[in-house]
Order: sequence, then C-alpha cells, then structure tokens
Amino acid sequence: MTSPPIRSGSRRELLASVAVTSLLASASEAGARGYSGSLPFRTYSADPPRPVLPGAWVFFTQDEAVAVEAIVDRLVPADDLSVGGKEAGCAVFIDRQLAGPYGHSSRLYTQGPFLPGLPTQGYQGEMNPAQRYRAGLAAIDAHLKREKGRGFAALPAVEQDAFLTRLEKGEVTLPPGSGGAQGFFNLVLQNTMEGFFSDPVYGGNRGMASWRMLGFPGTRYDYRDWVSKHNQRYPLPPVSIMGAPEWSAR
Amino acid sequence: MSALRNTLAALALVVGTATAHAEGADQADRIMRGQYQAVLGDCMACHTRPGGAPFAGGLPLETPFGALVPPNITPDPETGIGQWSEADFTRMMRTGIGHGGRRLYPAMPYPAYSLMTERDIADLWAYLATVEPVANRVVANQLPFPFNIRLSMLFWNLLNFTPQPFRPDPAQSAEWNRGAYLVQGPAHCGSCHTPKTMLGADDTSQALRGASLQGWFAPDITGDPQTGIGGWSQEELVTYLRTGVNAHSVASGPMREAVENSTSRMNDADLRAIAVYLRSLRPAASPVPQPVAASEPRMRAGAAVYAANCAACHGAEGTGARQLFPALAGNPLVRQANAETLVHLVLAGSQGAHTPGAPTTPAMPSLAWRLNDAQVADVLTYVRNSWGNAAAPVLPEQVAKQRGGGDGMPLWPWIAGAAMVVCLVLLGLLAVCRRRRRPLAA
Ligand code: HEC
Ligand code: HEC
Ligand code: HEC
Repeated sequence: MTSPPIRSGSRRELLASVAVTSLLASASEAGARGYSGSLPFRTYSADPPRPVLPGAWVFFTQDEAVAVEAIVDRLVPADDLSVGGKEAGCAVFIDRQLAGPYGHSSRLYTQGPFLPGLPTQGYQGEMNPAQRYRAGLAAIDAHLKREKGRGFAALPAVEQDAFLTRLEKGEVTLPPGSGGAQGFFNLVLQNTMEGFFSDPVYGGNRGMASWRMLGFPGTRYDYRDWVSKHNQRYPLPPVSIMGAPEWSAR
Repeated sequence: MSALRNTLAALALVVGTATAHAEGADQADRIMRGQYQAVLGDCMACHTRPGGAPFAGGLPLETPFGALVPPNITPDPETGIGQWSEADFTRMMRTGIGHGGRRLYPAMPYPAYSLMTERDIADLWAYLATVEPVANRVVANQLPFPFNIRLSMLFWNLLNFTPQPFRPDPAQSAEWNRGAYLVQGPAHCGSCHTPKTMLGADDTSQALRGASLQGWFAPDITGDPQTGIGGWSQEELVTYLRTGVNAHSVASGPMREAVENSTSRMNDADLRAIAVYLRSLRPAASPVPQPVAASEPRMRAGAAVYAANCAACHGAEGTGARQLFPALAGNPLVRQANAETLVHLVLAGSQGAHTPGAPTTPAMPSLAWRLNDAQVADVLTYVRNSWGNAAAPVLPEQVAKQRGGGDGMPLWPWIAGAAMVVCLVLLGLLAVCRRRRRPLAA
C-alpha cells in the first residue's frame, strides 16, 4: 500500500537537473529580454482586487449561512476588544472565497492518487474546500438534529462551545472525505482567522475592526518618518486597499 | 565594344563625383542644418507614428470635431511631398497654403513657423528632400462637414494671422533675440503654452501664460514667481529642457514628447538662449490667492489621502526626492490656475521623460481605481494649499469630467475658431438667402 521509497540519489539528481534547467532558462531569458529606452509603462494600468460587495449569499444556502455565522461568532466572540466574527463579516468572506478559485482549488493539483498524508501536509483528500464545507456542514446539522433536536445556530452559546470543542478533538464523526472532524474544524478556524484579519476588500475585517484592535496600520508602505521614533505609538489609523473613512470629507 | 562602354561609364562616374564634390560640402552643411531645423520644429513629433518610418505620417490629432492626421511628408511623389517645389514648401511654412493652393489647418503650426528665416526654411527643405521616401497614403482631413471645408481657413487666416518675419528687439542681447526667435518661431512653444482667443488664435497678450490641452495643462512658463518659472535658475531651466528633469519638476505627457524629440536634441547655446528669453518675461504677476484653510474638511480628507497614497514618493512634507520624485512644495506646476495636468497625473499615472541625461524614467502609478472623484479633488486641493502653496481648490466635478478620458491628445482649439467662422459664413449665407426671398414673399 505504501508508495515505493524514492532513492535519495535520484531525487538529488532530479533537483540538480531542475536547478540547471531553470538556471539556463533564466539565463536565456535575460539574454533575450533587454530593455532599451524607457521602462515599460502604460497609463491607467492597475490590477486591483475586485471588492466584495455586501448582498445575497453566493455559495452558502440560507441554512448553511446561519450555521457558519454562528460558528464564526464563537471562534471570534464579541468582547471589549472587538466585534465578533459575524459582525466582522467572516462568514461573508468565507462565502465569497468558496465561490471563487479557492473554493474550487482551481490553482491546485487535484487528481489522484489520494493517499493519507502527514499532519504537516494538511488535507490530502479528494474534495475541494467548497465540497468540504457542503459535506461538513450537512453532517454537523444532521448530527446535532439527531442528538439535540436542533441545528448549531439554535443552541445556547455554552453548548455551541462544547460542540466545537468536541469537533476540534475529533470526537464527532464527519464524512472522511471532508477531512474528518478535526480537519473540518481546522479548516473553518483557518478561514475565520483569514476573514477576520485580511483586508476588508475581501468581505471580512469589516471597518478594519481587527486592525484597529491590533494597531496594525494596513496597506501603508512608508514609515521612514517613524523609523527613529522609538517607543511611541504610531499615530495614523489603518488603511485598506480600498481606502479609509478619513479619506472622505463629504 | 563592351570594354569601351565600361571605360566611358567609369569616366562619367569620375566626372560626376568630381562636380558633386565641388558643391557637396555646401550641400551637406545645408542638409545638416536642415536636420537641426527639423529638431527645433519637432516635425517628427506629429508626422511620425511611434515606431513608424520617419515623417511618413503620424497619429491622428483628435479634435472634438473629428481627426486631423499629420500627412506623409517624405519625398514620395505619390503619397508624400515629392511633387512639391521648394517654393511650395516655403509658401506653406509662411502662409499655410500648401501645394496646389490647399489651405492647411493650423493644427500644423505654420503661424509659428512663419516667423522662421528664409535660410532656416531653405535648409529644412534641403533636409526633407533627403529623407527616405515612403509610400503611405494619409488622408489628413477626416473632419466631418462643415469643419472639413478647407476654404474656411481663408477666413480664419484673414481674422487671425498676418504672415510676417520675426522682428528682433534691438534693445535686447543677441542671445535674448535668439531665444525669442526659437520660442515664438520654430520651437512653437506657444502653440501649447499660450492660451487661445475665442477664435482659437494665440492670445498674444497672454503669451506663454498657460493653456489647456484637453486633459493636460501646459503651464505658465513666463518668469512669474507664483505660476511661472520665476523661481528657477538659468541652469535649472536649461537642465529641464536638456534632460526633462530638474530639481523642481519632471516633464511628462506632451512636454515629455517635446523634450525627448526636440529640446533634448537642441544645442546648449540654443537652450541657454531659450532660458534667457523665458526668464526675462515678467508679465503682471499672477495674484497669489489665500490658501484654503487646513481646517476645512476637504483639506483634512486630502491630508489623509496624501499620507496613504502620495507621501511614500513625494515625502510627507512634499519635499520629494531629488531628480526622481518631484517636490510638490513650492512647485509652480502644482499652483497653476488650471488643475488638469494634476488630475491627469493622479488618474492615469505618468512616466517621466527619457533622455541621455535622465535615463531612469521614474513613473507615477495610476490611482483611478482607488480614489473616487472627491478624493482626487481633495488630495489635489491639499497639495495645492500646503507647504507654502496656494491655489484654487479642485472640485469633484472637474475630476469626473476627466476620469476615463484617454491620454488627452492636444485639443487644437483653433479648430473651434474655424468652426465658428464656418458657422458665421453659413449664417451669413442664410441671411443673404432670406433677404433675397423676402421681396418675393411680400
Ligand atoms: C503639432 C503637429 C504638427 C507639427 C509639429 C508639424 N506638423 Fe506638419 N502638419 C500637421 C498636420 C495636422 C497637417 C495636415 C494639415 C491639413 O491637412 O490641413 C500637417 C501638414 C504638413 C504639410 C502639408 C502636407 C500635405 O500633403 O499637404 C507639410 C509639408 C508639413 N506639415 C511639414 C511639416 C514640417 C516641415 C514640420 C516641422 C517644421 C511640421 N510639419 C510640423 C501637423 C504638424
Ligand atoms: C510610486 C511613486 C509615486 C506615488 C505614489 C505618487 N507619485 Fe506623483 N510622481 C511620481 C513621479 C515619478 C513623478 C514624475 C513623473 C512624471 O511627471 O511623469 C510624479 C509626478 C507628480 C506630479 C508632477 C510634478 C512635476 O513637477 O512634474 C504631481 C503634481 C504629483 N506627482 C502628485 C502626486 C499625488 C497627488 C500623488 C498621490 C495621490 C502622487 N503623486 C503619488 C511618483 C509618485
Ligand atoms: C505639445 C505641447 C507642448 C509643447 C510644444 C511645449 N510644451 Fe512645455 N509643457 C507642456 C505641458 C503639458 C507641460 C506640463 C506637463 C508636465 O511636465 O507635467 C509642460 C511643461 C513645461 C515646463 C515645466 C513648467 C513647470 O512649472 O514645471 C517648461 C519649462 C516648458 N514646458 C517649456 C517649454 C518650452 C521652452 C517649449 C518650447 C521649446 C515647450 N515647453 C513646448 C506642453 C508643451
């Protein structure tokens, strides 16, 4: 059942030959591409991300969305430091990500063979993230309805936390294709953190809530005037890829 | 038989080269001087497509009325000016009337070229005759009716243009006069920098005080301290014209082209003369407006936009980085009455001139995707009214008008004048018809 071990010699040879080929490739490229005159430039050229607009769910069904909003609100509960995951838009972030290239693993190799990997290798199964959410959420809903007579969102917060803890410990059975309970929990936790801390242009971190909490200045890129000011708070508020409220006077 | 023929041919050749040699040196000098005249007149800029054969026809000059395409002026007999005589060419440069009596639109800057000396025009002709002939038919006049009526230029010229040679000012130095000749004549700086009258002719009372080019504003280049180059030293002005960059500013857009094709190829004596002349122009100083108060909401919004979008290159205090990122503090370009260039730079981005003296071509990124109209307006209002600058605020409506516009080909405003003349003529004709009819109706 295990794959034949790769002889280290042949592997090193392979790596060496890759290095040589890429070296050759880059060398010939450098030779072929010489710029004279001015550097390439076009007016109006920019490649900004397409901002996520608020509105109807794109990937989630209404029931799924209610469950995910409840989950992200327990992973990032509202407290005196910041708003909760739901209000910060984490579910919207995940919804739009699952509807896009991430959800469909469109940039990953997704053909077999599918072998169980090491924990450090992450998910090695057949499903893409969109399929894992669909299957995982359905299994959780079925499980809770069987056990408690209602879905995740309808549970009191204490029971929600208890269930998520069991999920994290792998004490609930989820379809193996979805990565199992632990795998699914880690996936949702990972995506929730991404939604909470990434640029608001992607739908989460609404109002730059997490950046304000941390004092992270966002997409500013020039700190020369502060380099020598030690032990002082950086005074400027955060800025997102799409701007900041301070930019608008009207 | 054949040997004899060869000898004769060889003899003919020897004789031929001998005579060519006699006047060759003279002719070669003339051609070289003519080539320099073409540089001064920047004929290439209009009459050559980017990457195209020299002088074989240029890119359309877009006007609000339609396109005018600078034609093929290589000596090709079918599609160029191979059938023109030197007299045709001289008359065209002096009066705008071309081969066969065709009246040219002043998008071809003959009102400026008409000041050129007899000798300079003759040299230019000698050079143009040596250019590689290229077959490329260009239909210059792509204006719709009634603007395509070349005869309307007769009226335009009657109203706006009296051909006359350059008249030196005996009270000034030879260098000053050389500068005046270049600026007003072959280098036609005023065709961009001088505002136009209602009829589209140069408003000579406002010479070089700045004019709109549809999407760009060619700034005041007189010695005015507020809006002109009064704060630039002689050397700084020469450096700008030679390299496109100096401690104050970087040439971009239409000026980038003027520098790359023309001023960077002028000799130092001519550049110095131009600088002496421009710096001597001291028209009534522009009024210095009250700066917009820093406490105004739009100034505070502008400051926030500036800190996040501009400060990394232009410096938190607008001091820039020498030769690379122009200083915005104390920069006359920033204080022009008209903010078109500034709006264009922020929306479209821009790349500085490329010359042997400034090969780096630093660029400014387009920010149209990130800033809305009000934000562009406010950041420019802030830049125009901070660090000692003072100028009229920029309004969001102005930005909206320019947004999405292409690179803004120079508008040849005199076309507007032509249009008006055409309308006047049509109106006149109509009036005449009416009058004729009235007795009949009565
Ligand atoms: C600002 C742009 C511009 C510049 C600079 C310019 N031209 Fe022109 N030129 C034109 C346009 C446009 C026309 C066509 C005008 C028309 O058809 O009414 C034209 C027409 C001509 C013609 C007439 C050709 C024909 O077939 O009728 C000649 C000759 C000519 N230009 C020579 C020159 C020379 C020589 C220079 C440099 C000293 C020069 N041009 C610089 C725009 C320009
Ligand atoms: C990445 C660096 C960069 C950023 C960011 C940048 N600029 Fe520039 N800017 C330049 C460069 C380089 C030039 C010169 C190139 C040119 O004029 O074509 C320039 C030119 C200008 C000029 C013309 C000055 C002159 O005399 O030539 C103005 C005005 C200007 N920038 C304003 C702004 C404003 C306002 C912002 C922010 C909204 C901004 N710039 C952001 C690099 C930058
Ligand atoms: C095709 C139109 C055009 C022509 C011709 C032209 N200019 Fe300009 N010029 C401009 C524009 C537009 C700008 C402002 C753009 C920029 O550099 O940011 C400018 C800028 C300048 C500046 C910089 C002013 C400042 O405050 O930064 C100087 C100096 C100048 N021109 C001198 C000249 C001289 C001298 C000539 C004639 C030899 C000339 N220009 C011909 C369009 C033109």
